[in-house]
Amino acid sequence: MLVQADNLVKKFGKVNAVDGVSFSIGEGQIFGLLGPNGAGKTTTISILSTYLKPTSGEATVDGFSVTRQAGRVRNIIGFVPQEIALYPTLTALQNLKFYGKMYGLGGAALTERCRNVLELVELWERRHDNIEHFSGGMKRRINLGAGLLHNPRFLLLDEPTVGVDPQSREHIFDTIIKIRDNGSTILYTSHYMEEIELLCDRIAIMDRGKVIASGTLKELLKMLGEGGVIELEVAPPGCPAGLEARITDQQEVTGIRKEGNKLFVSSSDSARSLPPVMKVLEEAGCQVSSLELYAPSLEKLFIQLTGKELRE
Amino acid sequence: MLTSLRKTWYVTAKDLLIVAKDRGAWMTLLVTPLVVIVIVSFALSPVYKGGSLHATLLVSNHDAGGLGKQLTDSLAASPNITIQAAGDRESKTLKQGGSSYGLSLVIPPDFSARVQAGQSVQLQVYDDPNSTTAAPFLKGMIDGAASRFSAVEVAAKAAVSAAIRQNPHADAAAVASRASAAAGAQIANQPIQVKEEPAAGVKTLNTFDIETPGFAVMFLLFGVMIGAEGLLEERDKGTMGRLLVAPVSQASILGGKLLAQFAVSMVQITLLFAVGHFAFGMDTGNSLAGLALMLAATAFTATSFGLLLAALTKTRRQASSVGILAILLMSALGGSWWPLDIVPSFMRKLGHLSMNAWALDGIKGIIIQGQGFIDILPQAGVLLAYGSVCFLIGLKMFKFRAA
Repeated sequence: MLVQADNLVKKFGKVNAVDGVSFSIGEGQIFGLLGPNGAGKTTTISILSTYLKPTSGEATVDGFSVTRQAGRVRNIIGFVPQEIALYPTLTALQNLKFYGKMYGLGGAALTERCRNVLELVELWERRHDNIEHFSGGMKRRINLGAGLLHNPRFLLLDEPTVGVDPQSREHIFDTIIKIRDNGSTILYTSHYMEEIELLCDRIAIMDRGKVIASGTLKELLKMLGEGGVIELEVAPPGCPAGLEARITDQQEVTGIRKEGNKLFVSSSDSARSLPPVMKVLEEAGCQVSSLELYAPSLEKLFIQLTGKELRE
Repeated sequence: MLTSLRKTWYVTAKDLLIVAKDRGAWMTLLVTPLVVIVIVSFALSPVYKGGSLHATLLVSNHDAGGLGKQLTDSLAASPNITIQAAGDRESKTLKQGGSSYGLSLVIPPDFSARVQAGQSVQLQVYDDPNSTTAAPFLKGMIDGAASRFSAVEVAAKAAVSAAIRQNPHADAAAVASRASAAAGAQIANQPIQVKEEPAAGVKTLNTFDIETPGFAVMFLLFGVMIGAEGLLEERDKGTMGRLLVAPVSQASILGGKLLAQFAVSMVQITLLFAVGHFAFGMDTGNSLAGLALMLAATAFTATSFGLLLAALTKTRRQASSVGILAILLMSALGGSWWPLDIVPSFMRKLGHLSMNAWALDGIKGIIIQGQGFIDILPQAGVLLAYGSVCFLIGLKMFKFRAA
């Protein structure tokens, strides 16, 4: 594994912004951290980038500790912050040259890398324009490019598509895939489920500083049931004992979870499971006041795990 | 080590490039101070400038005899005074005891009679209580002229008495009239003048000698305040964070930024002095090395003040509010707006809590008092110590990461 995070904790006063986060990222993977604002994604990425020190726990990049060997880690990583961390009155090329020099590049190598990066983000023609005259999407692309100049082995991207138009977003996605194909390992945070589903090989879902689920997209969706979920609101709330076990025994049902007067029934084929499930409920004397069938998604998984919308 | 120095220089070069491209910054750093210095210097030139004083005197002469006119002629012959005869309306106003005409003289109807009789006579002089320049001199001239008239008349009267004693048949009135007329004519031929002459060894001041250093130091502080805001902005907008996770030390980041600020401050204060000297004749004294030392010490201390400001404040807005208050206080107390020679002793002592006072003591020592390199070393030393303390506190307290 290129990156290993073990039981990371970061406290700000009495608040645990990150609370026992652990995960690992294999070389060449795109690893996604998905969660709502305030979930602890930026704090986690800040610890891995050496910007913040964890209150406790340990993280390594290529075997180097992010706390004790921060200098070694900084030579390996590239960091693209959520903010547009560029100098607005300098041109795109001047910005890239400055950051390139900070990573020890110079001379012809720096010139060539700046050109490569500007071509990669398709802004070579605008290299002499000041950043302040760029659109939001173009600024994001240069912001991304500034993190790529030294060909980092591990690239940390903190919400790199916030506030950009769909066209620029697509462009950023293409760039990220090209970077991955060139061998870089990527940590990608977002609160946009679609981006994580599209880009990431492995995903950790965060909420309130904790990782509440992790795995590949397929593994995560399986938690909901591959065929979807039947969500039932039943009355009275206290269903007879043994009801959950009887439902689980029905055809194609893979799991059940109770939350108040709601039942979430996972199934490998929810359409086929629905009639026997309804029959069990009727026999138990439970009345169904509402019913919903939906396909599995990270959004639904998040709701099921936390009881709230991802964008809340 | 070499790599660190190189990266420090890259940060400096980047900041200098940003300032060089920022027209707004140059307005604040150079154009605004120059405009203020020029306006203030020209506005205050009568206060400091050498040469003759001059004023217009409104005269309402009611004297029935001839001495009133002779007194007026005597005053008119002075190059310091332009006589303006009062019209009916002005005379009426003056007669009623009021005057809104500035410096005015009322000669009473019995002026000649009383002078010739050796009696006391009262000339009414109205002045402008708000005038601090010419009026006191001109009042003195009028008093002097009037007393000389009296003295001459007494002498003439004595001469007439002596003549009558020698020749009892002489026409006393005719002798007195001739003596008086001759004396008056003599006075009129010797107009009284007031002329300012510099004391020996003290140079005549150009207003720019006084105003340029004071306002240059004040605007230097405004320049570093903008630099402090830039430092906080770099922290808040993420560029500092990006540098902190790059293989570059905090010392290189901050060192590079402070070096750029020092360079900008040096360029700013040097250009302000250069314009003052070449365009407006500001003196640069006899020790260019001493002046360079004072300007460098001032730029260093100002830069350290900027770091301290950034360290003590959390946001750009806070830095701006606190900075403006601190700079205005230091400028007022430290002699940037008026010379500390004119303020009470305790204010002068209080003023030396500010860097402005020490900077201006050294700079004005060179350009006004003609001091040399050795003479200003104490002021330069205090200034450098002042800057070092600010620098160390700022360094200790500055937070690279936003809270």
